[in-house]
Amino acid sequence: MLSRAASSLFWMARYLERAETQARLLDVSLTMALIDVPEDREEQLSVPLLVTGTQAVFQELYKETTPQNLIDFLLLDDRHPASVFSIIGSARDNALHVRGNLSADVWESINLAWMELKELRKKGVTESSASRVFDWTRERSNVFRGAAYGTLLRNDAFNFLRLGTFIERADTTARVLDIRHRMATKSLEGHPTQSFFEWTALLHSLAAFEAYQNTYGHNIEPMNVAELLILKRDVPRSLHACLQEISDLLEQIESGEARRARRLATSLYANIRFGDREYIEERGLHEYLTDFLARIQRITGQIQKDYMGW
Amino acid sequence: MVMLIQTPPEGIYDELFDENNRVRPSCRVLENWLMQSEEAMLAEKRREADVLFQRLGITFNVYGEDQGADRLIPFDLIPRVISASDWQRLQAGLRQRVQALNRFLFDIYHDFDIIRAGVISAEQVFANPQYQPGMQNLKLPRNLYSHIAGIDLIRHSDGDFYVLEDNLRCPSGVSYMLENRRMMMRLFPELFAQAPVAPVEQYPALLGETLRAASLKPDPTVVVLTPGRFNSAYFEHAFLARQMGIELVEGADLFVRQNRVYMKTTVGPQQVDVIYRRVDDDFLDPLAGNPDSMLGVPGLYAAYRTGNVVLANAMGTGVADDKAIYPFVPDMIRFYLGEEPILKNVPTWQGRKPKDLSYILDNLADLVVKETQGAGGYGMLIGPMASKKELSHFRSLLKARPDNYIAQPTLSLSTCPTFVDQGVAPRHLDLRPFVLSGKKVQMVPGGLTRVALKEGSLIVNSSQGGGTKDTWVLEDDPC
Repeated sequence: MLSRAASSLFWMARYLERAETQARLLDVSLTMALIDVPEDREEQLSVPLLVTGTQAVFQELYKETTPQNLIDFLLLDDRHPASVFSIIGSARDNALHVRGNLSADVWESINLAWMELKELRKKGVTESSASRVFDWTRERSNVFRGAAYGTLLRNDAFNFLRLGTFIERADTTARVLDIRHRMATKSLEGHPTQSFFEWTALLHSLAAFEAYQNTYGHNIEPMNVAELLILKRDVPRSLHACLQEISDLLEQIESGEARRARRLATSLYANIRFGDREYIEERGLHEYLTDFLARIQRITGQIQKDYMGW
Repeated sequence: MVMLIQTPPEGIYDELFDENNRVRPSCRVLENWLMQSEEAMLAEKRREADVLFQRLGITFNVYGEDQGADRLIPFDLIPRVISASDWQRLQAGLRQRVQALNRFLFDIYHDFDIIRAGVISAEQVFANPQYQPGMQNLKLPRNLYSHIAGIDLIRHSDGDFYVLEDNLRCPSGVSYMLENRRMMMRLFPELFAQAPVAPVEQYPALLGETLRAASLKPDPTVVVLTPGRFNSAYFEHAFLARQMGIELVEGADLFVRQNRVYMKTTVGPQQVDVIYRRVDDDFLDPLAGNPDSMLGVPGLYAAYRTGNVVLANAMGTGVADDKAIYPFVPDMIRFYLGEEPILKNVPTWQGRKPKDLSYILDNLADLVVKETQGAGGYGMLIGPMASKKELSHFRSLLKARPDNYIAQPTLSLSTCPTFVDQGVAPRHLDLRPFVLSGKKVQMVPGGLTRVALKEGSLIVNSSQGGGTKDTWVLEDDPC
């Protein structure tokens, strides 16, 4: 397939995944800001800014870290590329580029999201209507995924699209786990109820709360959480699950001469697949995740070199 | 409230009513349906159609407006019906006309027979800015130039079809023909159970067949070349590529090496044999045409000249659809095919002929004056509707550059009931069928019907407020 089309499909899927995570992150942060003691409120609210690396931009555009400012900035502000509005706009831009490779259902799912978002933006979103918008974002993402799985031919277009999803997902899981795990660990010194909320916030941000309870029961143990989100293959947003997909997809994509991205991904996958929690504990979670993020970025760069002609 | 269908003004052919205001036999099903429809229901269906078109992204950009200001071409719910017998004649006439035009293009780039025979003057061909001297003696597969032609027709008050214009470069609009039909079948499935409407859905398959036949290779790689997503017809380019299952490429996706054209793919370069290009001649290759073009492919022209790639349509077809050449098409048919033209031309006075010019100047208020190079309804004068100021402006234009203009009588385009703010009222329309030339000349029964939504308006172009309708060709006529 066309290199440009592969690139557009890859980024289209990344952006849609990003929009969904952003909604989850913001949702959890706003809830936590309500629960948390007032002095920690700002820290809660800055989590989505930390994960998306947008603190500097936010501070430039808004003075105070209030829930409403955060909603405006991360949902609807078109002055920077990290708002849900900009992200879905970018996804649609990429979708337009590859309309020839998309089924009508997939295209419509994205185009409709964009049209609805433009309407939403006209009305504006307040603290009280925000959760409806988060639900909407998740729903649009699910519709897109359903349309993609239900109607796309299983060819390289589909593979590049999925590659984008899982690269983005691996990246996000690592970032969210890194930041929220640190916060939750710190909270262990405080009130147990507060600490419980911190841990569930981490799990909810990655849609893994039920998965945790199913696997480990009600007691939340820091290392269990790390193990769940890194090593458990059956958790859809775990690093293991993402890397398995990435490595499988690179195996399936017709590759000609290009093998380097495949080698890098397979090697990272092997590390996780045969890794254990003792190693992570020994190395330190933050170190471990920092290394992981660097490797994911190397893989992404190599995918672009190998297939997308950059 | 049931519908009241307004009847057409006198002296105009109406597609639904005959001259005694009786419903034409081919339109009985349609009229029945209209009479049973409530205005509120139609309005509701129209809203539904708008939402669906927006969702599909069947939008276009108007030049001079904000980019990305996605606009819908208004879609009218009431189809235009063409009887089976009318279509048979149209089809024969279109086939004949396109064959002659392709023969003409071959001739003026090779043997010049028609010029030698004195049917058309050398000056008119060679001095035409659309003539591409570089195309001379280039051998093209099957001697085909215009693989895809869109012929604009109108129905005059005498009930006969006239060719208004030939489009032999990159005619667009076929996606509306297909999407309008899909929309009608979705909104009113019951209608199609009652009327024997001929299908048009096979168009992309026929187009694919035509494009593959444009190369002599057994299994050629075909792509659609688009100027990109800011082009007003981008939706159509993507739509056709998807329907044919071939790649939609932009200039930057292609490159030329050793006079061969390749596309950049995830597995390396892949050679391209046929380019269905929706980019104008001048923008195809910055080395040969407009040096500032970012839409084209450097070296493409050389590759084309070497015969390593086929362009559909060929370069240099614009000379044959020029308004200055148009008056000669009936003669071409006689000259190349030895047949009488089946479809009529609109009588045309040519500014370049002194006698014609003085006729034009004397009758300006009754004529339609068009630029020979113009398109899209721009730069034209409709005499009977023009102000004194406009008339005198055109008079001076004509005197300054007479060869730049032609004039035609003000035609009474036929009308068809159309759902507008005032209810169901007659509006003027035209018809653009698409003719495909490959191993044989083929077309699907139908075309794009454009309708002028303003009362009395004769300008159907979407850039000037025109809309579209589904076009029904009947498979057989009711007795």
